[in-house]
Amino acid sequence: MNRQVSHAVLAAVAILVLVLIGVQAVDPVLYAAKNISTAAHADPATIQKRSPGDAASLVPLMDELLGETGTLALTIKLQDYESAERDLARYNELSRRFDRLVVTLDVSGTDIGEFQQNNRQNQDALAALLNDTRRFDALQRLEIEVRGDDEQHMTVIYEGEALRQKMRETFSAYARREAATVRIAEHYEINATPYQESVDHFAEVADAANGWQEEINGGGTGTGGTGSGGTVQSPLVIAVTPVEGSYGDVLLVGGIHAAGKSGAPVEIYVDSRLAATVALDDDRTYVHSYRVGRILAGPHLAYATAGTIYSNVAAFEVLPKNTSITLSLAEVNGTAVACTGNLTADDGRPVTRAPVLIRVDGETLVGAETDGNGTYRADILLPAGEHALRAEFHAAGYPLNASESPTETVILRGEGLSPFPFAAAIAAAAGTGWYLRRRRSEESTPAAEPEAAPSPEVARLAPQVSIAGLPPREAATVLFCTLRARLGLPETKTPRDCARIAPAYAGFFERYERIRYAGETPSEEELTDMERIALGGDADRA
Amino acid sequence: MTQIEREAWAILLILLLAAAVAYAHVTTTTEEYSRYNTDWNGTSALPAEEIRDLRNLDTAATLLILAPDRPFTAEEVGYLQTFLDAGGRVIVADEEGTANSLLADLGSTMRVRPQNLASLERDRADPGLFTVSVVGNTSLFAGVGTVRVNRPAAVTGGEPLLETAILTWEDGDGDGRISGDEVFGTAVICAAEGNLTVLGDESLFINAMLAENPQFIENIQPIRVDSIHSRTGTANPIINTRLWIQETPPAAAAAAALAILPVAWHFGRKRDD
Repeated sequence: MNRQVSHAVLAAVAILVLVLIGVQAVDPVLYAAKNISTAAHADPATIQKRSPGDAASLVPLMDELLGETGTLALTIKLQDYESAERDLARYNELSRRFDRLVVTLDVSGTDIGEFQQNNRQNQDALAALLNDTRRFDALQRLEIEVRGDDEQHMTVIYEGEALRQKMRETFSAYARREAATVRIAEHYEINATPYQESVDHFAEVADAANGWQEEINGGGTGTGGTGSGGTVQSPLVIAVTPVEGSYGDVLLVGGIHAAGKSGAPVEIYVDSRLAATVALDDDRTYVHSYRVGRILAGPHLAYATAGTIYSNVAAFEVLPKNTSITLSLAEVNGTAVACTGNLTADDGRPVTRAPVLIRVDGETLVGAETDGNGTYRADILLPAGEHALRAEFHAAGYPLNASESPTETVILRGEGLSPFPFAAAIAAAAGTGWYLRRRRSEESTPAAEPEAAPSPEVARLAPQVSIAGLPPREAATVLFCTLRARLGLPETKTPRDCARIAPAYAGFFERYERIRYAGETPSEEELTDMERIALGGDADRA
Repeated sequence: MTQIEREAWAILLILLLAAAVAYAHVTTTTEEYSRYNTDWNGTSALPAEEIRDLRNLDTAATLLILAPDRPFTAEEVGYLQTFLDAGGRVIVADEEGTANSLLADLGSTMRVRPQNLASLERDRADPGLFTVSVVGNTSLFAGVGTVRVNRPAAVTGGEPLLETAILTWEDGDGDGRISGDEVFGTAVICAAEGNLTVLGDESLFINAMLAENPQFIENIQPIRVDSIHSRTGTANPIINTRLWIQETPPAAAAAAALAILPVAWHFGRKRDD
């Protein structure tokens, strides 16, 4: 095959390969990184193994929660407080697990989120029912003990009335949630019977409180009825103005203590919890500015005590409000992003000291908390690449509705490139250069010497060899090695290399090449001639 | 070895490599579900035999109609009906609803309802890649508790065989999360009427999914794939030519002769030299 033909074939092959590659380049589906999903399916091998959470346990947890309400309400009704405490602790634990799961699975915007809200309120209601029932139980015993002591008896009646009203309010709210909760339970094929029974138990407990209070009032203690009932006139009066408020509003809780002295302490309770202690003014009035903060939306009760004197019970309602949350991202460095934003109610009021969650890539959650201005900040470490972040406010325990920010995207560059690979590459390049240079110098060194005729010293040092008795081709090989050694050429050199390095002996080496590779057999005359040259006995060498 | 000989060998090697590359390219395709697509979304690895004639089907094998995109004639529907009546098992895998006319012609009440289903019952980031539960009693899913599906459609009618978990929704806005008016609910992915089974996920048979549900694939062996109407038959003109040569003896003999003649000529010339 001559050179022109081979070049033509090579060119044709190159064109063919280019055409094949070109055809694929038009439609790079085979090797494009995008080719991991189509409308019909995704390549599971390329999809990250990442579960959104333990979804399988969500519905069973809902079932357990509803079941627990029935058990808890029953034990409260039976006044088995020890068991009720245990049931409440378990209910709280289940609720915590459920809350975490709802957040992890990102389902707070669904009817499961509604179920969660209802469950939180049920949790508070049942906890309050347990406390109130226990207190009511104690009051019932106390009422018998203090009969005959009008002042003590009145105190018991006042507190009993406050508790009774609170229990009625709590029950009303509990019962209002029944329809929605049962609807959601049926959707998920959950048995809602225990929950419905809990409503009945709750009603019985509240009715029992009503009955006792009516019995006391009707029994004629000689001191009249309750303050709120209007039949008993307590010297300590309380009122809340306005009677409605929402997050951040200030409600004035105050009144007058007709029998009190200036400076005497008055304790104000909201939902049976001490909210403030204030002193009576000179005009025997008292007032406390109650700011609506972390308190559930719905009805609440307030009353006051001054020593053993109890006030009437005042009711007020906390109204829910919408919220909005913002999110801004700023790259701190190649691996961290600063998330900042504001959480405000719909009237622009900042929501302070509230927990905020930042959802990263739809999965990971990072917690933060708003400061006194409703501003939050969290620095999050992330791997290099594009990330989607969203801020969420879940409003647990607040008279506020949940909100979430628009999803923001950030692209992190990752850590700066390490200098080590570059240093290694430079070192490798330098090493390669040094090696090639050394090798070239080694190759060029012997080439220079044979350009000139071998020195007489070299010729004198030529080894004495004998080819007598050897086959002709073998003898030629011995003579080739002899000449190569005499010329100081490396053993790695082929006959062609030797002919190029020592052109003065080219005839010898070319003849040996034909013998060695073309299979020719040298004649005796040729061997004699070669022996003479190899041993340095020929003046013209070739 | 002389320099000319070395060049000759190099050219020969390049020619062989180029021929191998050309063969790989022209005998494969990137078409979805194609038996000639060796990539993840092809069906080259599905252990099944292709058939191009629906007459006289073997009732011992499962007939798979996978992602059908060509209509069935009345005659072909008749062949299928005969096959079903004889005890043969037919699986229609479709998620675009193109099989609904065939199902109607077969007198079935089952229909494929294309939906963008998503579920929380999964261990992958893609919400369309989730697991469903076996709810029906059938040999198709013997020994199988759950099946991993890949962006399936819902199936209505028939006896349910595969059903999603309750935490599944139709992701109408395609954002991968339940939002807006989307609600959780179960959906049937596979149903059966007698020997006719409708599977709302044709992706179960692509190369990348075979390892996900090996027992199911094992249960339906041996498989005959209808290559006339299924998208598994999608090829290209070169593949079609190759198939024609394989199926036509004179053409195969001519192709063999074309391959042998240059070699014979080469050796003959060398001997003359």
